[in-house]
Amino acid sequence: MSSILNWPNLLWALVLAGAVCIFAAFLLLHALIQSHITKVPKWRSRYSSVHLLVVLGSGGHTAEMFSMLRRVKLDPTRYTHRTYVVSSGDNFSAKKAVEFERTYLTQKDESSATAKGQLSPTGSFSIVTVPRARRVHQSYLTAPFSTLGSFWSCLLVLRGLHPDQKHIPPQPSHSRYPDIILTNGPATAVCVILAARLLRLWHALHVAVGLGSHSGSDTTLSSDFKLRTIFVESWARVTTLSLSGKLLLPFADRFLVQWPELAGRKAWRGMRQAEYVGTLVD
Amino acid sequence: MKLCFVTVGATASFNLLIQAILEQSFLRELRAHGYTNLLIQYGKDGKSLFDEFLQQYPPGSEGHHGLVIDGFDFNSDGLDHEMRLAKAWPSEGRLGGLIISHAGSGSIMDALRLGVPLMVVPNPTLKDNHQQELADILQEQGYLISSHYQEIASSLDRAERLRAQMAQWPPVSRAQEVPPPSLEQVMSDELGFLD
Repeated sequence: MSSILNWPNLLWALVLAGAVCIFAAFLLLHALIQSHITKVPKWRSRYSSVHLLVVLGSGGHTAEMFSMLRRVKLDPTRYTHRTYVVSSGDNFSAKKAVEFERTYLTQKDESSATAKGQLSPTGSFSIVTVPRARRVHQSYLTAPFSTLGSFWSCLLVLRGLHPDQKHIPPQPSHSRYPDIILTNGPATAVCVILAARLLRLWHALHVAVGLGSHSGSDTTLSSDFKLRTIFVESWARVTTLSLSGKLLLPFADRFLVQWPELAGRKAWRGMRQAEYVGTLVD
Repeated sequence: MKLCFVTVGATASFNLLIQAILEQSFLRELRAHGYTNLLIQYGKDGKSLFDEFLQQYPPGSEGHHGLVIDGFDFNSDGLDHEMRLAKAWPSEGRLGGLIISHAGSGSIMDALRLGVPLMVVPNPTLKDNHQQELADILQEQGYLISSHYQEIASSLDRAERLRAQMAQWPPVSRAQEVPPPSLEQVMSDELGFLD
């Protein structure tokens, strides 16, 4: 009768575990709010190159994304590497990405012609395919597993370890981690942005525990502000947020909306608001 | 030549619109507004409707009302070429036509960019129908006209009025005390670029 597995002990263990969970949840929430109210300091030199990751979606999302990128006149000499994430089976988006690179970005290159001994001033791009979280008609029983598979794939993409990224030669000028992630709301965006936040949390914990401090420059300011996420709500959303938008409202670093009625939406008190920026498509 | 191009997009089928387009009353009205050609992108499920129409009214018959009617399922290279056929081109003898489209954002942007009058027809069978909202607000702002699929014939008059005064696309943001940041500015801020 001296077993420690008696009811009072178990109860205490349960209470303790619960307390730890609540504490951890509180810390995470605190970290999330902190990251929302912290502005990015100006630390990056004007001429440093940037790795941009764009999450594409089905039909309308992709058309809107390239419309926006054309309208901002995306500068390939600044955004020297572009990664396009498409869902499996979405040939339309992959095709549009190649078209954008081949016609728009190379044209830009000829007009600016500022190659200072660089081999390719327009930089490079890659298209990576991630599995869908849930296919149409797929059972809801298996959906959690395929969602995990999709999430894992997104983690690999963000760390530059996805099979589709293998052909890219390692370049000293930019890291394999994307500096900035841009999306306008397909389902895959939820996985990508949550994966980015998880990696950043992991990194922050690493630094906090002191494990990463030996590698010098990598743990300075620069790596704290990689994997920044910008969510643009679809132009087609006039009065209500999309499901992806609702899910990502607390997680995206910047949340932009294109119609005035959506301005000021926020996840909860103290969090950053959705910013109205007018029509971004053309 | 004055062409009306109808598109239902690639994602969902919209046979209610195809049916309404092939109604005798609509074709008669189209002719009455000076149109000579009707080109229909009917999507993956619309072919049977189109073939049925051709069987009932062979080309050249009374049922075509003097219109040249063509159709195709989809063009995977995009519909830019087809949309351009509705743009005025005096040297080729083309008058300004009309695009009738489902209310998907991709098609709307393509048509507005070309500056061709656009009539959008929201698909009432879609779940979570936020397309209607987009159609309504863009109509209110004078970029296009929105029509129920059963009322497209009577909406042709409105389309002609739209041609006379279309709002400028892309929208120029009104002068504000604090102008909203551009996407470029937001990206630059997040990257922490030194000014």
